[in-house]
Amino acid sequence: MGLWIVLGVIVVILIFFAMMFNTLVGKKNQVINVFGGIDALLKKRYDLLPKLIVAVKEYMKHECGTIEKITELRAKAVSGNLSDDEKVAIDNQMSKMLGGIMVAVENYPDLKASENFMHLQRTMNEVEEQISAARRAYNAAVTDYNNAVEMLPTNIMAGMMGYKTKKVFEISEEQRQDIDTEALFNK
Amino acid sequence: MKSLEELRQFYNSVLMPDLQALEKQRRSVFNNIIYTAAGAFGVAFVIILITAANAPALPCFIFPIFGAVAVTALAGWFYSKGYKSDFKMAIIERIVKFLDSGLDYDPHGYISKSEFVNSKIFHTKPNRYKGDDLVWGKLGHTQLKFSELNARHESGSGKNRRVRTVFKGLFFIGDFNKHFHGRTVVLPDTSEKLFGRLGQKFQEWNIARDDLVKLEDPDFEREFVVYSTDQIEARYILSTSLMRRILDFKHKAGKKIHLSFVGSRVHVAVSYTRDLFEPRIFRTLLDFGPIREYFQDLSSAVGIVEDLNLNTRIWTKN
Repeated sequence: MGLWIVLGVIVVILIFFAMMFNTLVGKKNQVINVFGGIDALLKKRYDLLPKLIVAVKEYMKHECGTIEKITELRAKAVSGNLSDDEKVAIDNQMSKMLGGIMVAVENYPDLKASENFMHLQRTMNEVEEQISAARRAYNAAVTDYNNAVEMLPTNIMAGMMGYKTKKVFEISEEQRQDIDTEALFNK
Repeated sequence: MKSLEELRQFYNSVLMPDLQALEKQRRSVFNNIIYTAAGAFGVAFVIILITAANAPALPCFIFPIFGAVAVTALAGWFYSKGYKSDFKMAIIERIVKFLDSGLDYDPHGYISKSEFVNSKIFHTKPNRYKGDDLVWGKLGHTQLKFSELNARHESGSGKNRRVRTVFKGLFFIGDFNKHFHGRTVVLPDTSEKLFGRLGQKFQEWNIARDDLVKLEDPDFEREFVVYSTDQIEARYILSTSLMRRILDFKHKAGKKIHLSFVGSRVHVAVSYTRDLFEPRIFRTLLDFGPIREYFQDLSSAVGIVEDLNLNTRIWTKN
């Protein structure tokens, strides 16, 4: 009888540990999965960029510097061999530059009226909104994962598995401030 | 959107002549019902008097009274049928056109059962399904339609027969301003409200639904629970501003609301306990109150386009 009870307790403990293990792995994979989503969207954005650059180049004579910078950043982004942190950093810089271009369009009525550009602008808007949604999804997945890593009882298992908390996407100080287009183009 | 002041002017100048004619019709319907009821109950009373002496007490009361009630109800339905239809064409359609001339109205039409089921808002498939008062048209860029629906599920038979209401109220379908491929459902949150974090765990384990989407807006999370086939797409649809708009719409409507985003369209189910857009037989028509109520019910449905900002098309969809 006693032996059965001991065995029973051991089985329950094992099941409990297996459940915690699965929960943690599930949450870690969710983070990886969503990051994959961000990656795919960033690629979509990089595929669109050459079209945008061709469309704006002939009109935006005064923004050559920004356009060159975007081209450079794109080249860096698609070259591969980047760590996740580097990808995020380039993405942040790119968002800032593109934001600036979209605001500067106001100064070029011909460009604004061009059908080709209007279509591109809508597509860019869509991709930007999707990227921002993907960042929110990533942050939610990371928060879920971090909670599991830090909260009882899963934190014990997480310690044994060597899981550490992950960073969420933060809006940089530069992005929090409104984009100062003048300053951006007068650099 | 039209104001109440504009409605009052419209009521006085355009609706009044028709209302006066309809009021005559209503009175005659009302009188017919009353006369029939008086006749039916009179006959029932005579039958009771005759049979009371030699029949058991209870059946001799129940059957005649039951018969009189049935005859009155039947007469009510029969006499008011034409009047209801006339009323809807003369008044409800006019109010719909007054709201926006781009809208059309069919008093007998309704959102089809397949559209209702495909919205994926409600799990239980109804086997008793009816509706009326279909409004459809285009407002700005947005194609929309809505109608009143009453969807019920009946199971068992005889003593075990059970009828459960799946949905009763106003069902709205509009073209959404962004492209999407998956399925995202926004439901009223009961579990999390009752059990907090543990409630959220239950929602995570809900195998009948897609993946739980945990959103950042705490007010939104308190009121709604979101399930989706795609975590990123759900957030693409439910932008921070749309979450606020849905919350505001819920508070404004003061009703239970369910939403779903399927097949590039948004579906909004607003629960009502009362019947919508029905004329009253036992109260005068020459009163602004009911007209204001029809107008408010209609404009809150049409207003979903504005409330959810569906006409803003800065995305590829135009």
